[in-house]
Amino acid sequence: MSNLSSLSFYIPELIIIIAILLVIVLDVIPVCKKYTFPLSLGAILLASVFLWQSYGESHGLFMGMISIDPFSHFFKMIFLLSTFSIILISRYEKQLDSNYSAEYNALLLIVLLGMFLMSSSINLIMIYLSIELVSIPSYILAGMLKNDKESNEASLKYVIFGSFASGLMLFGLSILYGITGSTDIGVVTAALQAIEYPLSIYFPLILILVGFGYKISMVPFHFWTPDVYEGAPTPITAFLSVAPKAAGFAILIRVFYTMFTLEGSVSATLPLTNINWPTLIAVASAVTMTLGNLLAVQQEDVKRLLAYSTISHVGFMLMAFAIISPDAVRAIMLYLFIYLFMNLSAFYMAIFASNKLNAHHINDWDGLSRKNPVLCAFMALTLISLTGLPPTAGFVGKFYIFAELFKHQQFYWLAVVAILNSVVSLYYYFKIIKSMYLVDVEGEVNKIEAHPVVNWSIILFSAQNILFFIYWEPLIGFIEKSINLWSG
Amino acid sequence: MAENLFIIIAALVIASAFWVVFSPNLIHSAVSLIFTLFSTAGLYIFLYADFIAATQVVIYVGGILVLIIFGVMLTNSIDTPSIAASSKNQFIGGMGALTIFVIQVAVIFNTPWHIGTEQSRDSTVASIGNLLLNEYLLPFEIISILLLAALMGAALLSRRT
Repeated sequence: MSNLSSLSFYIPELIIIIAILLVIVLDVIPVCKKYTFPLSLGAILLASVFLWQSYGESHGLFMGMISIDPFSHFFKMIFLLSTFSIILISRYEKQLDSNYSAEYNALLLIVLLGMFLMSSSINLIMIYLSIELVSIPSYILAGMLKNDKESNEASLKYVIFGSFASGLMLFGLSILYGITGSTDIGVVTAALQAIEYPLSIYFPLILILVGFGYKISMVPFHFWTPDVYEGAPTPITAFLSVAPKAAGFAILIRVFYTMFTLEGSVSATLPLTNINWPTLIAVASAVTMTLGNLLAVQQEDVKRLLAYSTISHVGFMLMAFAIISPDAVRAIMLYLFIYLFMNLSAFYMAIFASNKLNAHHINDWDGLSRKNPVLCAFMALTLISLTGLPPTAGFVGKFYIFAELFKHQQFYWLAVVAILNSVVSLYYYFKIIKSMYLVDVEGEVNKIEAHPVVNWSIILFSAQNILFFIYWEPLIGFIEKSINLWSG
Repeated sequence: MAENLFIIIAALVIASAFWVVFSPNLIHSAVSLIFTLFSTAGLYIFLYADFIAATQVVIYVGGILVLIIFGVMLTNSIDTPSIAASSKNQFIGGMGALTIFVIQVAVIFNTPWHIGTEQSRDSTVASIGNLLLNEYLLPFEIISILLLAALMGAALLSRRT
């Protein structure tokens, strides 16, 4: 579709772009400074409305640069929801300097735009550009706490790892361009089918996997994760652990299903001839979840523990990615959606604890259940869900992934590894529960109330864990409709 | 003639790049980088990419490299060997680099590369301009937002609190 006629299908993104510019302009005018926060939230709401209205449409836009399709819409809803919630909660986070709130919101909106593009790119140039558009503002956001050495370290490490990974990915993309002479992934697919020398495909495939793997923190490209998650402001940690990961999975699914499968579409079931990347992913998945879990066991810092736990969750999702089938994509999307709620609520609880009690260490959480029994009950629910035990949505998510694995009768060893890992994760999640409930603190205990916004965010997001356990039918139906990629 | 020139320029790229990495002195590395970047611009000319060659010289040699040298100059004690890049695990790193080199050579010689039709043209600037405002309009516009983010971040991080 031509550039001009694409614009009418591009309204949510345009709203976000206008909001970014307005936030920057309003920040300069002293009287209007306080409106940047409602403006950012309002823009996200407005974008959601337009996005919801256009659900189901499927087009290639801007001369084949990006596509809108139900698949990208599903992910865009995840991005909008998480960004909205993060902007909202950040206002009540004490670490952040409120002088910079306009820049902070503008950068978050830019990341949001980048994630929108990541989920809908169908051109090698846009793939690279959208990943950079997510990464570069994230580097800055991780270093928002300018007087905190750990935050500076986080930012610097993130930059170094990120630029290295995207450099390698760019190299891989350039090889694909060299093979095909086109940057359109549809054309690349057709050209790759004809190549007989496996290394010519393996080499760019692995390089591209480096770039995507870094975004979703897949082992061995995860080294930045714990340090960045620990040093960054907690809302940013929560954000990075959810939204860019979802974006990474969106682009991973789109690119790999279109370029590296025999059928070249999401209904594919076989990889390219001679290219056994599912096994590669299966090994990476096993290593990712095992390493994430084993390192999480040793952590005493809550944020760091959650950081390693996100790595192990990525391993779980990769497990389904090792199977090429539309049902596996469905399992990943379901897991991502549930993971969004459980992870955000866990991190919000960490925000509450560090704001009110200055508690970072697990031991600082001792006896928290007597200080705020309601939130601790919901936190316990979240942790059970993260472990994947019934009666929570985490169980549903894990169930679908395991079902996929058994249905295809491939990678039984992977299922064994995953079950062992679930047991390990039980240990460290219950370490937090134990600290909240079973450790007694002496003396008088004062009740501590969270700010209503924080309070209700935690409660709402944890409550999803029950809701989607009982009633996941509509969700899975919606996801089923969303597995629909635009193709040529 | 052209082939010999190409070989000279390519050799210059490689030799100066080696010196950038292995030189014990940071200033020498930085100066050597000038040669690498300049001769890379020469390679672009061989590819008929005159515009990219010009931007390579203006941005990398003119801007970024001067910035790097300034950065080196402004750090204390430039002559002490402690800031000279000391490297560890040279053997493992070397083996890794060698493996990747071998893989790349294998890929280069075995891949059926896409070979475009031979064209003769005067200048690529006009067609680049056309492409940027037609086919590649969206990436072009998105880059402006990326630059905005980078600018904002630079201002944010360097501002005094």
